[in-house]
Amino acid sequence: MKKTVDVSIPIGPVHPCWKEPIRIKCETAGERVRRAEVELGYMKKGIERIMRGRPWQEVMFLAERVCGICSVIHNMVFIEAMEAISGITVPPRAAYLRVIVNELDRIASHLIANFSYCYTIEHETLAMYLLNVREVVLDNLERITGSRINTAYMIPGGVRFDLSEEDAAALLADLATVEAEMRRYVKMFETGPLIGLRSRGIGILTQEAAIEAHAVGPTARASGIPECDQRLRHPTYRELGFAPVSRTEGDNFARVMVRFDEVFQSIGLIRACIDRLPDGPVRGGGDCGPGEIVYRGEAPRGELAYCIRSDEYGRILDISIRTPSIMNIEACSHYMVRDVTSLADVTSTFISADPCIACTER
Amino acid sequence: MITYLYEKDLRRMKFNILTSTWHDLAVRQIARRLSIDLQRLRLIMIQRFDMSLLENLPARWEAGLRHADTNDPTARELGCELFSRFIPFVEPDEMQTICSETRAEIDNGTPEVQAIDAGKARIREVILS
Repeated sequence: MKKTVDVSIPIGPVHPCWKEPIRIKCETAGERVRRAEVELGYMKKGIERIMRGRPWQEVMFLAERVCGICSVIHNMVFIEAMEAISGITVPPRAAYLRVIVNELDRIASHLIANFSYCYTIEHETLAMYLLNVREVVLDNLERITGSRINTAYMIPGGVRFDLSEEDAAALLADLATVEAEMRRYVKMFETGPLIGLRSRGIGILTQEAAIEAHAVGPTARASGIPECDQRLRHPTYRELGFAPVSRTEGDNFARVMVRFDEVFQSIGLIRACIDRLPDGPVRGGGDCGPGEIVYRGEAPRGELAYCIRSDEYGRILDISIRTPSIMNIEACSHYMVRDVTSLADVTSTFISADPCIACTER
Repeated sequence: MITYLYEKDLRRMKFNILTSTWHDLAVRQIARRLSIDLQRLRLIMIQRFDMSLLENLPARWEAGLRHADTNDPTARELGCELFSRFIPFVEPDEMQTICSETRAEIDNGTPEVQAIDAGKARIREVILS
């Protein structure tokens, strides 16, 4: 008689495929995963508590330290929230520069996410190619903002530095190189037979499940929910005629491909911004005042929301941050990895959702 | 007594998650909707849900309010999908039974308010059991 063994197999907290510590307990029947449970708490920063009672000048630096990979969007959402509270307007040139930096950050984040996926499914060659391209993107972030990771580029009423014509030309030249190389790598990913075996039809997140778990970002867009993209509601992106990328398969392959497609989309958005970049100042100034707001922006991983209450001196009385990985990790552990046929697919499926534990535990 | 190296007591961390600003707001709304004592509801959540679901609770609650039971007013009143799919307190089959029995009671002439109240009481009973 065939014996069925139910075992609880822990993956993590330390695992070669994880960038950060998290533990997934998989209840298995043979190789099949019946359900999974997530344990957090290995890298809690308590950053929201540190932020409370501090002036916005300190909190803006803390905000981008919530996540090292997508630090620009944390800076952007916090600053735009403070601007909305205080009625500060941004000069048009600064608004376009914000989009350029934000999209560069998105490209860097998507490249490291897809690097991780390729690394997890043991396609190290493609993984290293992607990491190599990411360097070019980070160099450009440094050229514009002076820093590769925590840029602190956006301030209330504008941005810190203008973009010179020479820097814009160098950025466009680098983007042309990135685009050409990326076309080759995407073709490798799309046509690789082993990649297909590890990615297509695995870790499926249906549209209904994505809605239930409030999945966001490329994870939701790969399951046919394009309207979840917060850039659709951002005035500068609307001026640029932004339309989200979306697929319907909902599997690992779709999630990675959505990210690849968004890299090209971001390159297009940066080009459009440089084309239309208006003349004028990049700093309008303004004082941060009292108020309360829930402000949302589109991080590389999805909807990022800040709930802020400030006083008349611009001090942060209360703040709560909802990062996209919270939703996507939950969608992954309760829907994507449920009933995967092999335990080996748990790691790749988890990584395909681009989880950021630093964001989740903030 | 055997203690497992990695089996930690997560109750304290789960409680911290539930009492953060956004989560506290959502938990209070759920408690009000279900007419369950706040502390009791927190305990139930800590016992039944894992940490990622607890972290995602406010987003699920908001998604549920927006998308659950959009076509059926009785199911919406009871929170059929809301408390089985979005916030998984009750097994979907069990919730379906409660929902269809409530509908049957309304069809048999029981006043709607009374039938829905009875349905809500049954849901509460299942959650508290």
